[in-house]
Amino acid sequence: MGPKGGVGDAPVGSDTPRQKGKATPDTLKIGCIALVTKDGQPRRAEILSIRETKSGRQFYCNFDNFNKRLDEWVPVARIDFDQDVDWPSLEKEKPKDNKVKKASAAPKRAQPSKKAQKKVGKREQSVASEGQTPHPWTEFTENLAQAKAQGKAEDVEDKAVASLEIGGTPGVGPDEMELDEDETPAELAKKERTASFSREEEIEKLRTSGSMTQNPTEISRIRNISKVEFGKWVLFPWYFSPYPEVFSQEDRIFLCEFCLSYYGDLKSFSRHREKCTLQHPPGNEIYRDDFVSFFEIDGRRQRTWCRNLCLVSKMFLDHKTLYYDVDPFLFYVMTTRDDRGCHLIGYFSKEKESTDGYNVACILTLPQYQRKGYGRLLIQFSYELSKIEGKLGSPEKPLSDLGLLSYRQYWSENIVDLLLGYSERDEKCTIEGIASHLAMTTQDVEHTLQALKMQVYHKGEHKIVVPEKLRQQREKSKLKQKRLIDSERIQWKPPVFTASNRTWGW
Amino acid sequence: MATRKVRYKKLSVKTPLTVLREDQIDPTEYESLTNEGQISTGVDHAEENEYHLQAVLQGAGVAADKEIPVPPPEESTLNFDHLYRQKFSKTSTYIRFSQTVEECIGCMYDMTEEDDVFLKSYNQKRPASTQLSEDDFERVMEVFEDTAYIRTPFASVDQTIVSYDEMFQGLQELDAAKVMPHAKQVYEYWKTRRQALGNRPLHPTLKFELHQESDEQDPFVCFRRREVRQTRKTRARDVQSADKLKRLRKELEEGRQLILAAHGRELLKLEMLKTDRAIYDQRAVLKDHKIRLGIKTDDEDLVNQKPQKRKAPEAPAVQRPPPPAQLRLPVRPDGRTAEADLAQLSDRLAEKENELRADIAKKVQNHSEWNKGHVDLTRGPLSPVRGPRLDISFRPAKTQYLMTPPASASSGSLEEPMPMDLDEPEHAPPAFKFRGVAQDEQSMANPPAYRRRIGRLNRLWIDRRGLTSPPRDSSDALSDQWKYDQSSDDEEDVPIYEVDPFDTRALKFRASIPLPAWLLSRAHPATAPVGNRPSILPPPTLPQTITQLHSTQNQTTITPPPAPRTSPSMKTGP
Repeated sequence: MGPKGGVGDAPVGSDTPRQKGKATPDTLKIGCIALVTKDGQPRRAEILSIRETKSGRQFYCNFDNFNKRLDEWVPVARIDFDQDVDWPSLEKEKPKDNKVKKASAAPKRAQPSKKAQKKVGKREQSVASEGQTPHPWTEFTENLAQAKAQGKAEDVEDKAVASLEIGGTPGVGPDEMELDEDETPAELAKKERTASFSREEEIEKLRTSGSMTQNPTEISRIRNISKVEFGKWVLFPWYFSPYPEVFSQEDRIFLCEFCLSYYGDLKSFSRHREKCTLQHPPGNEIYRDDFVSFFEIDGRRQRTWCRNLCLVSKMFLDHKTLYYDVDPFLFYVMTTRDDRGCHLIGYFSKEKESTDGYNVACILTLPQYQRKGYGRLLIQFSYELSKIEGKLGSPEKPLSDLGLLSYRQYWSENIVDLLLGYSERDEKCTIEGIASHLAMTTQDVEHTLQALKMQVYHKGEHKIVVPEKLRQQREKSKLKQKRLIDSERIQWKPPVFTASNRTWGW
Repeated sequence: MATRKVRYKKLSVKTPLTVLREDQIDPTEYESLTNEGQISTGVDHAEENEYHLQAVLQGAGVAADKEIPVPPPEESTLNFDHLYRQKFSKTSTYIRFSQTVEECIGCMYDMTEEDDVFLKSYNQKRPASTQLSEDDFERVMEVFEDTAYIRTPFASVDQTIVSYDEMFQGLQELDAAKVMPHAKQVYEYWKTRRQALGNRPLHPTLKFELHQESDEQDPFVCFRRREVRQTRKTRARDVQSADKLKRLRKELEEGRQLILAAHGRELLKLEMLKTDRAIYDQRAVLKDHKIRLGIKTDDEDLVNQKPQKRKAPEAPAVQRPPPPAQLRLPVRPDGRTAEADLAQLSDRLAEKENELRADIAKKVQNHSEWNKGHVDLTRGPLSPVRGPRLDISFRPAKTQYLMTPPASASSGSLEEPMPMDLDEPEHAPPAFKFRGVAQDEQSMANPPAYRRRIGRLNRLWIDRRGLTSPPRDSSDALSDQWKYDQSSDDEEDVPIYEVDPFDTRALKFRASIPLPAWLLSRAHPATAPVGNRPSILPPPTLPQTITQLHSTQNQTTITPPPAPRTSPSMKTGP
């Protein structure tokens, strides 16, 4: 499949004809798609916001098929004005009747266009959160007024489109694509109608469990914090986080490394540092080795700290939602020790009671500690806790791209180790056996086996083949001697919650 | 999967799978075997096809050479050591900590750069001794902010500003001497700052829900409260509350009954007083008559007689409740009746308890007496329990259980095997008498006793004593001799003992006796008791030839699964 083809990958551009034409820095407006240089190469990018700075006008660009964490403000110089620009086509007229027709004629094709459309609308919405654009405001409000004038009915339907996509995402089964094919227009319409409630449904779901959102309006906002001072590091946030609105205007914000309080100016931050006595996460240490410690923090008891933690992590997790409070979660925080205290490396949160059997809600290694094997430790720790609980666990979906890679690696390493043992002993194994040994769900085991092409159907029976490449890799990585969690050092009992805890919001 | 051409057997998670290494399988074959199906990744669909993720995933599995680019962090230019001055001492044990952030950061107000400018210019005008320190400034500001938050929670909407007088109270709690001279001016500064910010808190705060329409769409509104979850209706919960209600109802009912009873008691008391009075009146009349008629007897009939008088002091001594027939309660003028009643009840209970204990002690004693001289004839005999040992493996209580045979096999307790299936109750009037064997004066004097116990391998043992028993299988040479031993007690009721068992006459006679019903029932299991519990079906009338031989001490083993052949008087279930 081509890098820009396919069904799911059209954040920019679509099959619907767009008006093309030359643009100038002054006429380029929100919703346009232009060629923008990214890492030395021209790439299609959608303009999501415009601002004026001392050095001139800047455009906030989302690059075609790049994760939103790579969105950035680009100066005029990086935009290629020699090429035609796709104008934000008459978005308001074509929408609905067009879509319905498409639905009847070629339901499958309808999807990308819907997506593109919805994206435009939603991004516009999110621009409201961008406080850094004093000038484009007028333009924006004009747009909005126009949108309103041009049809309330469209608004409703637009919502339906957005939710249609949501309706599809929870079932991440491989056959989901085919699903749409056999749908008659009537069915589709019906689906839309039922799906139009899914925003409420999702909020209801979040109210009772979970911390991840599938809702595009929740996730696709323009980054509001540009720079964060955090301990010895300066971090560049990847995504929007609902810090106080005024922080959007700050060049940088300051976070206390221990209590995670946030400050807009250096004076108040240093004043805070004079007074703050916290030197480790405010909870009980449940694991310690020479290298890291783990703390267990109850979201209800340490509401402020856990809220602060969530605000930090939201800057690096796209699908995390802070819609509801932190009460029903426990936070397992990994720290490294030095003479100043226990510094936050990463954490994972976990529902006190997960109806879906998740053992991890959100999981994050802070950027300054990434690619050092800490994520693996976090993942391993989450499974060690599941082993103590005697449950099989799985992380809450959707996973981020980085999350998927980390989990895949953890899963494949552990499964390969286990399988090599079986193969040496000439024993047979079952998926269930692997699952219970690693406290993983059987689906995760199966997915890993399939993803690594280890599961084959040979001579009338299912078999598992360990590819030579994997085996060599495993041996190589074993030589590197990675750090592991020593389960003997965990001092932890599964916390018990009473019915009244459950009833009264943990 | 729809794309598959061949539908394979469904792979169950329980299927045992052979684990092979790649070199153990034909490489060309392997290539074709791996299915190319799309695997769900768990990543959001819109992002699944992102360029960098796909690039890494194409690298198959654990390839670490490709990475997803992220905005890289940088080292901070701030002076870390200055900002984070406090040294941390490592504890030897795991840290346990429950203070909250608020408790750890002291004064909640942190002065901003603007405050700094104000304070510096403010202090410039003053001599060093009367300057306001940063800490005190923050404390004053904290009071203003807190008071404003409490007094005018909707300040940003209604624009009311708390007056200085209202702040005064909060300021009192601070170190007044240091703070008060500055408070007014700081207040003015605070007021201008508040107004400049639209009367919002000076510290930037998170946006919490205000229960307005705009909340829903506002991305800055976060950490909403969850409405209290509806308690799910479950059967367990229903039962629980029903039980609670029942208990409450019962307790209330008991209270009501108590009051009714007290009411009844008082009525009776009234009745009694009336009767007393009537008696007194009658006596007065009698006295009059006596005087009038000149009858001179002692005045005994005019007062309550001695027995009654005696009873009154006796009652508290023995602590016995008065017999129910007697209406007159020992009412004392000080009204201690109720108290005495209570004491008597507990005494009564204690007495009962004592009786019970004595009874148990007696039974234990009896039991050990029965066990005296017990000889175990099994191959590996278990020595009898000596003394009143409460050994769980040997349950003396079962003795009693055996002495009161159940009415029928089917009415037995469900959890344990029925030890015996005794006769129909019609000819077993006294419960403890085992009528399945011959009765005579001797056995009446020395009643048969049984004891059941469970031995190793769950074998059920029944020990009997004082019981005639059938002869053992004579093929058992070792146990042969005791058959002919004389039992001193029962000597006189074995008249046939002298007869040679192989005497033709005797043989003939015995052959003429028809088989008893219980023996026949062996051939027809339908007549046997229900269930497969080991049971004993003793014959209603045992032939004399069998009963003649017995000893005072013998044992019969009942092993539940196989029926013991040695004892014709016993039978296991079908």
